[in-house]
Amino acid sequence: MTAPDAMGVADDRADGIRLLRDSAAAIVPRGGPLGRIRALRDTEAGFDRAVLGEMGAFGWLGLRVADEAGGVGLGMAELCALAEEMGHGLAPEPLVAVAAIAAPLVPEEDVIAGVRVLLPAWAERPHTLDPAGTTMAAIDGATLRVTGRKIAIPMAAGADGFLVTAREGDALSVVIVENGAPGVTLTVEATVDGGHMGTLTLEAARCVRVAEDAGPRIARLLDEAAVATAAELVGVMDRAFALTLDYLGTRQQFGKPIGSFQVLQHRAADLKIQIELSRAAVGHAAAVCDASAPAAQRSAAVSLAKARASDAAMLVTRQAIHLHGGIGYTDEADIGLFLRRAMVLAASCGTAAAHRRRYAAAAPPLDLDA
Amino acid sequence: MNEMIRSEPGDLDALPDDAFRAHVRAWVQASCPPELRHPPKRLHWSETKPWYMALAKQGWLAPGWPREHGGLGLSPAKQIIFIEEIERHGAPRTNDMGVTMIGPLLIRYGTDAQRERFLPRILAGEDIWCQGYSEPNAGSDLASLRTEAVLEGDHYVVNGSKIWTTLADDANWIFLLVRTDRAAKKQDGISFLLAPMDSPGIIVRPIVTLDRHDEFCEVFFDNVHVPAGNLVGEPNKGWSMAKALLGFERIFLGSPKQSTYALAKLAQVAEHMGVADDPVFADRFTRLRMDLDDLKALYETQVAKLRRGEELGPDVSMLKVWQSELYQRIAETAFEIAGEEGVMLNPIGGNRALNPAAAFIQSRVVSIYGGSNEIQRNIIAKNVLGLPG
Repeated sequence: MTAPDAMGVADDRADGIRLLRDSAAAIVPRGGPLGRIRALRDTEAGFDRAVLGEMGAFGWLGLRVADEAGGVGLGMAELCALAEEMGHGLAPEPLVAVAAIAAPLVPEEDVIAGVRVLLPAWAERPHTLDPAGTTMAAIDGATLRVTGRKIAIPMAAGADGFLVTAREGDALSVVIVENGAPGVTLTVEATVDGGHMGTLTLEAARCVRVAEDAGPRIARLLDEAAVATAAELVGVMDRAFALTLDYLGTRQQFGKPIGSFQVLQHRAADLKIQIELSRAAVGHAAAVCDASAPAAQRSAAVSLAKARASDAAMLVTRQAIHLHGGIGYTDEADIGLFLRRAMVLAASCGTAAAHRRRYAAAAPPLDLDA
Repeated sequence: MNEMIRSEPGDLDALPDDAFRAHVRAWVQASCPPELRHPPKRLHWSETKPWYMALAKQGWLAPGWPREHGGLGLSPAKQIIFIEEIERHGAPRTNDMGVTMIGPLLIRYGTDAQRERFLPRILAGEDIWCQGYSEPNAGSDLASLRTEAVLEGDHYVVNGSKIWTTLADDANWIFLLVRTDRAAKKQDGISFLLAPMDSPGIIVRPIVTLDRHDEFCEVFFDNVHVPAGNLVGEPNKGWSMAKALLGFERIFLGSPKQSTYALAKLAQVAEHMGVADDPVFADRFTRLRMDLDDLKALYETQVAKLRRGEELGPDVSMLKVWQSELYQRIAETAFEIAGEEGVMLNPIGGNRALNPAAAFIQSRVVSIYGGSNEIQRNIIAKNVLGLPG
């Protein structure tokens, strides 16, 4: 169902990516049952910390951390391949948030192992990609304290601590606050996929700085998380589409499979085009990240990928429900799980609208002599 | 300017890609007549002949043909660069059916005598070919074609008609799919025949298209006698040969070039109309530009397959659908924002490149030609997705 060669990487690297995808089956068996996902819906943490620990043991959480720092030292093409597999299986564990952001910022053994769960908290308003809001960190006596409010932190209730972006003077820092510490208030609201998002209110909370004057670095890490989320969406839409193709091939009406009707065949063809555009855009963005491209070029490529994958995943999963007919509108049918996850991931790491806006600002002037 | 050293084919293939690209670019810039760049219409032989002959003189007319037949024998990767540079410059499409279609077919399926007779004349610009495939009642369902060739002694007698024959009035030869066995299953009774356009009984009638241009023709055959030696390959094998020829050229129906050019023109029209900074237009423009960038990424994945020496699969049809419909959306946007100026026959401000009305009208054809987009979607549904009959 997946196209492991579509990331535009060299042959030997493509082989490694294939192996990585195969190893993902240990946690997310391709085409496997979704009972685990259903069981985790509406639980407090929303994900299984033991499974996150297994991901750590496989080296996935330290994928983006250099060898010498205790990680695996692989690129975005690899992380995207893994994220796509997670999307396929709807795994709710915060692999992308930890592997793309937390572990690179805090490359400590317990973080890379998935034992200590740190989740990034950067957004302060909807539809933004800007990690610098009004949250401030300042020294109070000998103690660094942070004050502000962060929103839309996926799976926040399962975290031990948060990586908070905060202004220190003119620069942007990242500080850790511990979940449940004095001055740290977490409220959560359930999301449609059975998970939740947290809002973090910080009132002179004690914190530890892990990065200072880090604006460009934070921007890069958020971009990388956005591409990986786009890859996860590719996995979600790819499997939703595969389930739908199966259904079109087996459901009989008027004495033949409904997939033999041209109007449905053409709709399926259009969905396939959107999936492959998404996959190509993600592959391109991952390659741009891996090439350490200048920030504007990287941002444009990342926004292309996230905007496309968000819109395409919504389109594909919406149509998947429709093409399943009445059964698609039941909770019993797995296809609905894909729509709900697509809704949440489409809004994570920047909505399509936010990314289109940023693309318009970041893309180079059009070559009018094209 | 054509005095640049004529390279031997082996030298070209040995060049690193970047050097090869620079070499081709410099030569195309120096050799393609400027007035032919980005033509608003498909040009006739009388107009494109200088460019065709410049390519011929340089030995670059047939980058994909094997060297022993007068081509450059370039690797797929180099051929792609070559075509990208031609497209980049906006060089006009020539009367290229000899080079792209019948030449490769003869190289693969023709006899030595046919190759010796026809290939050099194509490379010299002496024979201009046209393609006789579609018929009035055989469009998307091409295999139902009914133009018939009956063997009588040492020649075939051809009766019927062909339509949408591009630039037939420029051509002195036509290659034809003809029915030679009415009893067989429709794909199995078709043969491939070559006929001189001055054969008695051939009548050519230009078709004036929606954009009031005579790019296409109808070609009528009334008891036309064609020597039996002009049959290519075996009788009744024409369909499979024609299909096998749909090689990697198919990818170029999905080349982002057409939409890239159109988007640049859209930006210029927007500037002229004073809407470039209007937020409603800007959002629309951004979406189109993102659609184009994603097309480029998808196109690149197919090109990468060619570079690795792989065959293209039926999924290349995705490119044709997305590119043609994107091009139409861009053209529609330019037409809409041009308002009253969008209905003028003449270009805006006399700038030939800024003619939203003409571009809009011309863009109607891209979802029809090269296998209509419905046919392309059928291919995706059946051959890529495996949906039932």
